[in-house]
Amino acid sequence: MRLDKLHFLLALGTLLGVALPATLWTRASATRLTESLNKVSDVATASAANEGYCSGNLKQILRRVLTSCGLIQGGGSRGCQPLQARQMAAMSGGDFNSLFAPLAQRAAIVQFDQDKADLDEAAMGLLEKTFADQRGASYFLVVSRASPEGSVEHNRDLSRHRADAVLEHIKGKFNDPELEQEVGLLWLGEEFAQLDQEFCQWKRSRTEGACTTADLNRSAFIAWIDCRL
Amino acid sequence: MVPDVNPQAFVQEKGSPDGAPRAALVAFALFALLGVVFSAVSTYDFVAHLDRQVHAITCSIVPGMGPRDAAGTSGCHAVLMSPYSSVFRSLTWGGIPIALPALGVFAFLFFRGLDLSLRRGIDRGETGFLIVAALLPVATSVIYFWISKVELGTVCTVCAGIYGASLGVLVAAIWAHIGAARGASTSSGQWPLYFLEGCALVLVPVMLYMVQKPPYPDTLTHKNELRHPEDRYGVMLKNKGTGSVPAIEVLDPLCPACKAFSQRLAASDLGRDLALQTVLFPLDKDCNWMVNESLHPGSCAVSEAVLCAGEKSSVVLEWAFAHQPELLAAGALGQDQVYALLKQEFPALGTCLGLPLVRTRLNRSLRWVVSNSLPVLTPQLFVRNRKIPDEDTDLGLDFVLARTLEGDGSTRGEVRR
Repeated sequence: MRLDKLHFLLALGTLLGVALPATLWTRASATRLTESLNKVSDVATASAANEGYCSGNLKQILRRVLTSCGLIQGGGSRGCQPLQARQMAAMSGGDFNSLFAPLAQRAAIVQFDQDKADLDEAAMGLLEKTFADQRGASYFLVVSRASPEGSVEHNRDLSRHRADAVLEHIKGKFNDPELEQEVGLLWLGEEFAQLDQEFCQWKRSRTEGACTTADLNRSAFIAWIDCRL
Repeated sequence: MVPDVNPQAFVQEKGSPDGAPRAALVAFALFALLGVVFSAVSTYDFVAHLDRQVHAITCSIVPGMGPRDAAGTSGCHAVLMSPYSSVFRSLTWGGIPIALPALGVFAFLFFRGLDLSLRRGIDRGETGFLIVAALLPVATSVIYFWISKVELGTVCTVCAGIYGASLGVLVAAIWAHIGAARGASTSSGQWPLYFLEGCALVLVPVMLYMVQKPPYPDTLTHKNELRHPEDRYGVMLKNKGTGSVPAIEVLDPLCPACKAFSQRLAASDLGRDLALQTVLFPLDKDCNWMVNESLHPGSCAVSEAVLCAGEKSSVVLEWAFAHQPELLAAGALGQDQVYALLKQEFPALGTCLGLPLVRTRLNRSLRWVVSNSLPVLTPQLFVRNRKIPDEDTDLGLDFVLARTLEGDGSTRGEVRR
């Protein structure tokens, strides 16, 4: 076959037909890349939960429990005593309890026998289940109480032992390296913010029999708090 | 005495006096044009991804018809993102798409077919060259079909079009050759010229591509380091990777992109240099408070199973990758459905799934992500605690890995500072 003008015209046309789109497509990508580098990513960043119920008052109390009672700063003392609690809350017991109302689905009440600080099977089960359901929460609050029988001093000690029993069980069961920074203890004895009958509707470790306010306050109120401080 | 031979009869017996049948040459050109179309579509889809963004791709036997794959679930997407879709990936971001030289080859075949079909008296020297030239795409197609089936377990529709076009040009070339005039060929001496023309049609677009393609922004590998890479919670799965360079992948066991990424990393030579640990980050609202909707429903339950499996976590993870559609469908019905599937496949895990201890462990896995302020997406890869940009976990993986593994993570050569 003789190589004539047609042959070379076809060759040139084919070359252009291939080279042109390849060039245009590549340049278009380069342009888009340049534009995209100036855009800010709209992907969310992983963070702890901060639910709508985290009001200023709740955060303030939480911050005070965690700082005043040696948690965030890593101090030696753990937990707030009733007097401190009353001071830091700077509100009535009823108002204090109502702060926790939005936690109804996240909280539980671990109940104890009268004048005892030992966790029974049901209490351990409820505690483990509640603690395992951390989700995005940063802090686990334990608010222990005592019913009014007995002296004020005795009930302070009793509620402290109840809070300690909860903490020790969590430590033994979950081996959480951040426990020191996560758990806030507040023991109220009989002096402040006793739970009223409404809390009988909350998750409790003892569901059989009647629910009295005395039963309710022989307890440790436990809850993960979905707030960022 | 000279025998009385009819020259016309002699030629008729051996082949057409007009040379190769025009129909065969036209068919050759048309099949080559088909190859041009399919390889152009494939090249376009590949080149579009050089902007490091996500694009829908063509996955239809009739380009332009049918929906484009935007979800990344098609075989076309799997093949496009596989290490086999391009060459020299470690040298240039994304590499050179194999479809681009294919486009040049088919364009050359089309040019030859068109040139010959416009002429008369095509001899076997010409058609013989067509056969030899057609063997290249056929051989490449056979190799790529094998890779697709065996290595990737899927076949892309656009690639199938290229395979078909390759076979078509070979058959048409043989047909033309059989019908071509025999005798002394005047064109065999032109094969070197044809060869050079073919080389030009392949090399010129490749060179233009290399010159025009965007340089890799050097700054991208110098940000996003892990703040707290240590495994304080004991949640990292340490059963992958045989290399020595510390690396952490963050993935969701029911995320299709994570599965594809895991396969790409396993197929990459550079991936073998990594001592890979895995952090589970299920994008499922059952356990992950950072998502409002479950992107991969059921992945919390599957993640629990992976953690429950201990040293055999990779077995559960691989099984989950292989059964993502069923697990996602079960997850949409509820976590219990996923637990049931897991217990059926791994009965020994039944005593662990859903219990407080494993749920706490999974939560700590999520908290590791929080403590490092990572974006809420999967997969993510960190090499020497430095993030491989999310946009570089597919086509750019080998290029960026190569730079990161060089030592200090800085990019060299193809960079823009």
